[in-house]
Amino acid sequence: MIDVHAHLGDGLFGLSLTVDDLLASMAANGIEHTIVSPLKPITYQFGPANDALAAAVSAHPQQLSGLGRVDPWQGADAVQEAVRCLDDLGLAGLFLHPDEEHFPANDEIVFPLMEILRDRQRPLMLAGGYRGTSHPSQIGDLARQFPDVTIVATHGGQLNISGMLLLDAMRMFQAHPNVLFETSGVYREDFIEDVVTELGVERVLFGSNAPYMDQGFETLRVSLAHCSDDQKRQIGRENAVRVFQLPVLP
Amino acid sequence: MIVDSHTHVEDFPGSTWSDPPETIVRLIDEAQIDLAVIMTYRDAAGDDEYVIEHIAEAMHRYPDRLIGYARMNPRGGDKALDLFQRAITDYGMKGLKLHPVSYLLHPASPQTVAMIELAGELGVPTLFHCGDEDFTFPLQIAEVAALVPKAPIILGHMGGYFHVKDAIRVAKRHPNLILETSAMPYPAMVKQAVDELGAERILFASDGPGCDPSIEVEKIRRAGLTPEQEDLLFVGNFKRLVGIDRPATEETPQ
Repeated sequence: MIDVHAHLGDGLFGLSLTVDDLLASMAANGIEHTIVSPLKPITYQFGPANDALAAAVSAHPQQLSGLGRVDPWQGADAVQEAVRCLDDLGLAGLFLHPDEEHFPANDEIVFPLMEILRDRQRPLMLAGGYRGTSHPSQIGDLARQFPDVTIVATHGGQLNISGMLLLDAMRMFQAHPNVLFETSGVYREDFIEDVVTELGVERVLFGSNAPYMDQGFETLRVSLAHCSDDQKRQIGRENAVRVFQLPVLP
Repeated sequence: MIVDSHTHVEDFPGSTWSDPPETIVRLIDEAQIDLAVIMTYRDAAGDDEYVIEHIAEAMHRYPDRLIGYARMNPRGGDKALDLFQRAITDYGMKGLKLHPVSYLLHPASPQTVAMIELAGELGVPTLFHCGDEDFTFPLQIAEVAALVPKAPIILGHMGGYFHVKDAIRVAKRHPNLILETSAMPYPAMVKQAVDELGAERILFASDGPGCDPSIEVEKIRRAGLTPEQEDLLFVGNFKRLVGIDRPATEETPQ
């Protein structure tokens, strides 16, 4: 399997994940490759965290790919850092966390970053489903303005244990084919199955959100899904290769 | 033996979510779960007995597999109290389900307190939806736990995505609170709750059929509990709290 969503480093919010621990978890859970981005560092400085991430990717190119992370509130500095991540560090795309950096996903401060991604045909991974910052309607509004940028919305674009966002999320995915569905922590596994059936399996990618969530446990949302083996292969591996333009893995 | 203490059945014409009883029975078969507690997605608001009858019908169709809880809207006042009482005494249901998001009352509102008191008097637990939305936070439900200390109250989803630590905190303060594991995505927090509260305070549930019971069972198995602790979560606590009419003839599948 390929896990498209995990984070490395010492995090501001009490969690950390080292490269060695991630590689051990991958080996234990049958995951051949993971796409990582930095946890929000205790220093609040994403530049050094992106450097450390790129170094980890360089050291383990078969096992790891990386996404650069920036804070859009930092304006021109964020733009510069995004360009550095993609052009100099060779990372596969960008990761934005509207909740941890406190910005609405559809705010104008995000637009310059989207233009950078559009120009380079690189994807955005967006922490999705957070109240007030990345509600499905906000993800959809961003996607509407950048239809040429692929947006991978984590948690299926909704983090609501009442299921109150399921309809919003489904409407958003229906309206915006450039938004893809990442599976970590998704409320109701039948929502994953519904998206596969109604929108197509090519829209769905396995992600774990480690270390916030448990990489091994999260694999079950794919392996135990009521989908065909071929669909599980696409969710668990092939879609990730296509979307993140991963090198052919052995 | 495994009891899934929180699942749903609802297939009224026009329901947003249509989950006939066959769906949850198929999924608990897959997960090797013996019994499931079922409830509707909608509330019985007053004297709308068809909501109760709907669950009763499913119970009667699968008497060896399904146990019913009555999902109520406390705004219904005396009519709702009367209907709830009959759900327990006449229809054989075993608990009260409350989801404040659907009826927009504070968990410690007088109408809600009256209904939970009645549940306590009838000897059945109250299962609250307990997650990340207003009127469902653990600290809010803790207010009613303090007002009705003899009534057992189950925190369904044990705080959801972002309020699990609060659920553990309030359960330490209020012995009548029990945590329930459904849909909460962190196996490690099941272990933490067991370590801090004791395994007898935690109930297994899936919130199926939307949430896959097989995955939810595996979450408990991956939490690092002892076999004795697992057994309390899967069946022992439910047996003590609610009772099981059906004789337990099978061991817990391993």
